[in-house]
Amino acid sequence: MSDDLPDKFDLIVIGTGFPESCVAAAASRIGKTVLHIDPNEYYGGVWASFNLESFCALLEQGGNKELRNASQKWHVAETLKVAEAESDTVAGETNIKTDAAKQNVLDWSRETLLQQSRRFNLDLSPKILYSAGRLVQLLVSSNICRYAEFRAVDHVCTRFQNNIINVPCSRSDVFNTKDLNIVEKRLLMKFLTLCMTYGEDKTDEDALQFRGKTFREYLQEQKVTEKISICVMQAIAMCNDDTSFEEGMARTQQFLNSLGRYGNTPFLFPMYGCGEIPQCFCRLCAVFGGIYCLKRQIDDINIEADTNIASVVLEGKTIKAQHVVSAPGHLPNAFLQRNVGVYGQAELVNSLSRGIFLSATPLGSEELNSGGGGVNLLRLLAGTQEAILIQLSHFSGTCPKGVFLFHITTTAQSDQPAQDLAPFVSQVFNPDDENAPKLLYSAYFTIMGRERTSATPNVDVSTTIFCTSTPYYELDYDKSIISAREIFAKLYADAEFLPRAPDPEEIVIEGEDPRALSENSLPDDLREQLRELENSAENMDIEDTDAAQAGECTQEDAETQNMDAD
Amino acid sequence: MAKTYDYLFKLLLIGDSGVGKTCILFRFSEDAFNTTFISTIGIDFKIRTIEFDGKKIKLQIWDTAGQERFRTITTAYYRGAMGIMLVYDITQEKSFENIKNWIRNIEENASADVEKMLLGNKCELNDKRQVSRERGEQLAIEYGIKFMETSAKASINVEEAFLTLASDIKAKMEKRLEANNPPKGGHQLKFAETRKTETWLSKCNLL
Repeated sequence: MSDDLPDKFDLIVIGTGFPESCVAAAASRIGKTVLHIDPNEYYGGVWASFNLESFCALLEQGGNKELRNASQKWHVAETLKVAEAESDTVAGETNIKTDAAKQNVLDWSRETLLQQSRRFNLDLSPKILYSAGRLVQLLVSSNICRYAEFRAVDHVCTRFQNNIINVPCSRSDVFNTKDLNIVEKRLLMKFLTLCMTYGEDKTDEDALQFRGKTFREYLQEQKVTEKISICVMQAIAMCNDDTSFEEGMARTQQFLNSLGRYGNTPFLFPMYGCGEIPQCFCRLCAVFGGIYCLKRQIDDINIEADTNIASVVLEGKTIKAQHVVSAPGHLPNAFLQRNVGVYGQAELVNSLSRGIFLSATPLGSEELNSGGGGVNLLRLLAGTQEAILIQLSHFSGTCPKGVFLFHITTTAQSDQPAQDLAPFVSQVFNPDDENAPKLLYSAYFTIMGRERTSATPNVDVSTTIFCTSTPYYELDYDKSIISAREIFAKLYADAEFLPRAPDPEEIVIEGEDPRALSENSLPDDLREQLRELENSAENMDIEDTDAAQAGECTQEDAETQNMDAD
Repeated sequence: MAKTYDYLFKLLLIGDSGVGKTCILFRFSEDAFNTTFISTIGIDFKIRTIEFDGKKIKLQIWDTAGQERFRTITTAYYRGAMGIMLVYDITQEKSFENIKNWIRNIEENASADVEKMLLGNKCELNDKRQVSRERGEQLAIEYGIKFMETSAKASINVEEAFLTLASDIKAKMEKRLEANNPPKGGHQLKFAETRKTETWLSKCNLL
């Protein structure tokens, strides 16, 4: 099948994860020819979402180069019949409440969950977007947002004295919440207003006074209560005790700036899971002519010494490219062995410890899960470690009705994700707490990453081959976008990163002659590309006149011939 | 801004490369067009508003952007699709055989109640025909979907096909509205929406 491909591209991108897809879309958008390959048979790499069946299969086979230390456990019976038989033997000694909980669990078995496999979209790297954050801005400014739908996060929560409480985000939240008394409501409002206006007056003495101190110290100075302090530190600014005042303030402002845009909270979650996000970038790349091949192995990459042109060997066929951008896990071994130290170490290291949990009941009060629940965000602490928990209901398009999906993510401390996550998991799924969600299924794995030591250059030394970054421990995609932009800037220094793609309505076509395309309806950059294309077509020997006369289906006819090899 | 339509339907075109999906799209939306430079200007769907039973229906018809070539259509492409045109080329046996694979692909990725229709395109090329009309009809019956032979080039049945699909979706939808099913909760991000209206903090001195 590789034989159908052109043998030369401006850019070959290997891996369809988020940063690779960003670079591919950006290059295609400015008129570069792009070949986008993935050795996996699915989009997204370590940023993908899976249905339940293929997720279980991935873990069963022990993951892959980028996902390791996988384990999974079913906490329900194989089939409902077995479950009923088991429940009969223990009946008669439980109270009404746990009976109800048990009933929920009993609605599910391994078989019934797998029957709904397609309704699951289990993210390997789940993310939450700030409504005014970098990714949302990029999706809107590039017009890639038309390929995705989002759900506003329903509740931002925090743990206070072993209870999960709602952090009020809107005015009505503050009025309605029972978790805060009237004094606390005033204090929170006052504090947030202060943060909102902070920085407007550069000579403000408050600002100077806290330079070099921590955000915690600043909070203490504002004389807020312990509960308010926890709300701000854990949920709004998402700080640690040693977070600097400036950073804490910047994060608080980011939270506040994202409020009032789409929903009740400042956050968004992509419908059907985060695996959609890289695919949206791939779609844009394809719309602007990028070619997609999944399930293709890269045998080797060579760089011609004099021209710096890369030759990528793709299942035996050599394809040349000015540049290659690859996910770190997909650079071929033969290439890495010849270039030890240049592209970081060949071996990936433990980066994120991940847990995925299914339950028939949600976490926290009825109030936090009204109407069947939505998307709830909770940051968990254990000693000096922190984790992000995202709870999803079927309204997010990531699990079937009646199931709640929990993602827990923390930075990897070891190659045992279950152990890394244990202090957080015990806070959420405590078997001794009868109100805690009862597990149906649990899975642990490690997302691998590139080690960033001072010896490993942040951006690669080569001018031909660039390596993207693996998922960071961060709520949103900020760092990943920054690193994708860095790579794009290295490739095409003066080009704009993902200028707005026109809406289909804006492209006005007049009559049958393509030249009658109303150029004025196009953005400047596209008008220029089109002109260049027309010029180069005119300068070429007019050998394809025959084809042009063959009528409107010319291009597709040519493709048909290619497809015969399929 | 007032809505200029009563319904918005997302429709997809699916089928092998070269069966004429893009030509069908442009025949319906522009009534003829040379498709040689679409990848330069980045057209990924076309819109046409039709009217029947006094209702304005905005059809948003998505093309595969070439991602069907190596069977790499994104799962995201199928999201929210209400109707799918399955297209084969009557002069290419292989494209007809592959319809089965495309239907499997749809079953895996699209919503279960998506309305489907089968089109045998390039019916003006009767002398090169490899797939008989009867076989097309038979396959459609097998899957319980409607069938038409079309020609984007000679402008045969393209309009009719889209109108049929749209009316079937409308009928299904109105039935469901009667059944009072709740809508799902996703939002699209829009340019206009990002303009900040008012922050709750600006009014917080009320407290």
